[in-house]
Amino acid sequence: MRRLPTMVAVVFGLVATATACSDDKVVTVVGEAPVGASVAALDNVFQTLGASFRVGEEVIFANGGRNDHNILPSNGDTSWGVAKDDFTPGDEYRHTFTEPGTYEFYCSIHGTDKVGMIGTVTVEGEPSGTATTQAASATQPAVVVTQPAVDPGVDGILDVPGEVATIQAAVDAAKPGDLVLIAPGIYHEAVNVTTDNLTIRGVDRNKVVLDGEFKLDNGVRVLGAKGVAVENLTAMNYTANGFFFTKAVGYRGSYLTAYRNGDYGVYGFDSVKGQIEHVYAAGSPDAGVYIGGCYPCDAVIDDVISEHNGLGYSGTNSGGNLLIVNSTFRNNRAGIVPNSGSYEPCYPERETTIVGNLVYSNNQGDTAAIDVALLAMGNGILSAGGVRNVIDRNLVYDHDKSGIGLVPFLEEDPNDSAPPVDTWDTPCDTFREQTPVKPDGAVLWDSQQTTVTGNVLSDNRVADLLVASAGADPSTFGHCFADNTFSTSFPLKLEVLAPCGGTGTGSWKDGEYDILGWLGEEHPPSVDYKTAKLPELADQPNMPDAATAAAHPATDVPFAVDLAAIKVPTKPAV
Amino acid sequence: MTGGRRVRGRTAAALVAVTLAACAQGAEAGHNHTAIDESLSAPIGAPPDASLDAPPDASIGAPPDASIGAPPDASLGAPLGAPPDAPLGAPPDASLVASGAGVGEPDVAFGGPQGNIPQFIAECAFSHSNRDDPIVFPGQPGVAHLHAFFGAVQADAVSTAASLLASDTLCDQQLDHSSYWAPALIDHGEVIQPDKVTAYYRPGPGVEPTTVMPYPLGLKMIAGAVHDGPRPSTNVASWTCGVSPRNDPTPPDCPPDKGLRMIVTFPDCWDGTNLDSPDHRSHVIYSAGGNCPSTHSVAVPQLTTTLAYPITGTGHELSLSSGGIDTLHVDFFNAWDVNKLRTEVESCLHREVVCGVTSTKT
Repeated sequence: MRRLPTMVAVVFGLVATATACSDDKVVTVVGEAPVGASVAALDNVFQTLGASFRVGEEVIFANGGRNDHNILPSNGDTSWGVAKDDFTPGDEYRHTFTEPGTYEFYCSIHGTDKVGMIGTVTVEGEPSGTATTQAASATQPAVVVTQPAVDPGVDGILDVPGEVATIQAAVDAAKPGDLVLIAPGIYHEAVNVTTDNLTIRGVDRNKVVLDGEFKLDNGVRVLGAKGVAVENLTAMNYTANGFFFTKAVGYRGSYLTAYRNGDYGVYGFDSVKGQIEHVYAAGSPDAGVYIGGCYPCDAVIDDVISEHNGLGYSGTNSGGNLLIVNSTFRNNRAGIVPNSGSYEPCYPERETTIVGNLVYSNNQGDTAAIDVALLAMGNGILSAGGVRNVIDRNLVYDHDKSGIGLVPFLEEDPNDSAPPVDTWDTPCDTFREQTPVKPDGAVLWDSQQTTVTGNVLSDNRVADLLVASAGADPSTFGHCFADNTFSTSFPLKLEVLAPCGGTGTGSWKDGEYDILGWLGEEHPPSVDYKTAKLPELADQPNMPDAATAAAHPATDVPFAVDLAAIKVPTKPAV
Repeated sequence: MTGGRRVRGRTAAALVAVTLAACAQGAEAGHNHTAIDESLSAPIGAPPDASLDAPPDASIGAPPDASIGAPPDASLGAPLGAPPDAPLGAPPDASLVASGAGVGEPDVAFGGPQGNIPQFIAECAFSHSNRDDPIVFPGQPGVAHLHAFFGAVQADAVSTAASLLASDTLCDQQLDHSSYWAPALIDHGEVIQPDKVTAYYRPGPGVEPTTVMPYPLGLKMIAGAVHDGPRPSTNVASWTCGVSPRNDPTPPDCPPDKGLRMIVTFPDCWDGTNLDSPDHRSHVIYSAGGNCPSTHSVAVPQLTTTLAYPITGTGHELSLSSGGIDTLHVDFFNAWDVNKLRTEVESCLHREVVCGVTSTKT
């Protein structure tokens, strides 16, 4: 009863009013609560009004909800019931039971004969009395309505499938602030979320599994809703994404497992104020975790494990208080790969802070992979045309190419030129009001003004640290390198050439690296994501108190990160 | 706030009010609800339900083979007052003769960064080639020029909306059973097998997104060149390489990693009644200045198709099975799952969100 006391009062008020104007226990009520999402809570439950009915009395079923429903006898009886097309909102179905008994029924759209939208009519043996009474009941009908006797959202919690059979039905019925709490099971659903401030949570991350069976597109898709939190469940085998936030303002994905999905594991696009944390993402041809098309993004990626994807992390044209911290990126084609490009809005990629991550062995040639993942293969942290990024205190080792590389991104058919430095702080909203001017020829997005400090690098076989150019003078890029533990760099002596504070000395020509050579390289081709070899899905940590914790909409994200307290990760035991 | 939400809010208030009135007057709730139901399901600004929602149910749920052997389009119930299709025995491509109506072009070709405007996407692999044309020569196998079909695997001269719905699909979006087809691309006399079509669904330029309605099931459209007509405007049909923001009037030489693509954009205003028309074009028209004309008042998604071919480099001698390279055109026969299409239109277009991009794909 935490929420919507007004609605509840109105609903019950309707019942009382209707009861008062009918002659006996046979009641006419078809009610709807007022305005917006609260209405939806009234769907998906049958309520029987009146204690019981008598043989020969007409029972009227009324759809007072917002959705189509049907009524099917649970025992398979075909002599009564109504199909969906004849029971749309506002419709009635009438039936006179001629035998006493308990008649169980359900709506197959929102339940099964055992759970979800189920109901019972009790018919007693004595025929109803007078003709007058019968006539009255015929004209004052409606005995069963799709109005909840026990509103599944009335306590702010919608149990799936206990109260509502499907996740989607629960999400549709939920009111802002509600908790959709999902019991263990395999759910073949693609859930769309358009209601603000919902918390959608699995009781057990490893046992609440959304399975797209390579037929459905997204496990959970949040579309332009604010404050939606998705917690403690698994999405696998979707043709597009495990979890997708688009145009969300305030979003959180916590304790999520995304496994073998066709585009991204966790995908944030054109969304701001986000938190992606305690996530395991594996087996996507694009990125395990992605945040793109936002500035300032105001988002945190914390405690993620991303492996066996095309890219561990990718973020095109994102940044601005965007933190990637305390996470592990391993055994992808490439590890952490932010990039710029005018093929999507809000360029350039900028101001992404990458701290305290464990990045290793991103040379994995047997994954599904988009072309960029092939191109970036063998790199740990690769900024491809990103600017003003901060890469600090990461442990990066075992890569065929670079540990940390700051390289240009070549866009052969750009929509626009690279914006000048004095416009890099243009918010994405402002950017979208501008009209791109297509330049003649290709655009090289140079990585610039990036700070690389305190990282520990080893066994990165082209170089631990790499700065490359495809024509521009790299001494003008404004990068700075300091306090890294490394053994190789291109150009040579990077920390002397480009120190943080002070003026660099030496020649950028010493150890100049030919980045264009990457364009012509052959890589193991992409593998079908449906069949790519993946580590067996192991149990992942559950969120604490999933079954009992209160709803927690994403209205307080991103969470604060104590960057100063982060230490370089230790190398895991082999 | 979206149109969809406004509808729900209004509906709720109306239901409460009517319910109370019904009780006070002792009226039968059912009668009142009949009236409410009508106002409920009629989308704001849309034509009556009958023309909007898919063809009669009978044809939707019909067994896939029910229409085989039937006269053209019989299974669709002679689409809602439309005249019959092109008469049997008409010369090939008779329907492509320009009719005037339906010919036009979008205000602008799609361009710029992907993700600037709302869209949803289906990518459908090449399925098969045959000399059938379910739109121009329904019921007449083998009389059309060679076509390359994408999407539904069972697409041929006898296809109906019901048979397409029952067909497997090669679209990544498994609920899109539509068929997309185009004349075969020919290089030095050899038929080139295409790779896939990418179908972008967006509001037409300047069209209020919340007014866009789903296509009716079974809608048939042709876009691009008309027979013996001039090369269409590059706003309608053009060429590019890979996912590149070009709209070249003729096929460019493409780099190795970005194969040739044909881009064709379909009209986005429907007459609200006919699933097809005698010339297969005049029941739909392009919006202008963000508006659909009164003759074609129903805004539908503007579909842009890009057909990918394994053609790179120089030295090609390209033509199409429909004639010269300038005869480029694409056909679309809508067989999206009705509920899924409505969800995508409402969730992505009405809410003005980007439900997918292809800019990182090849």
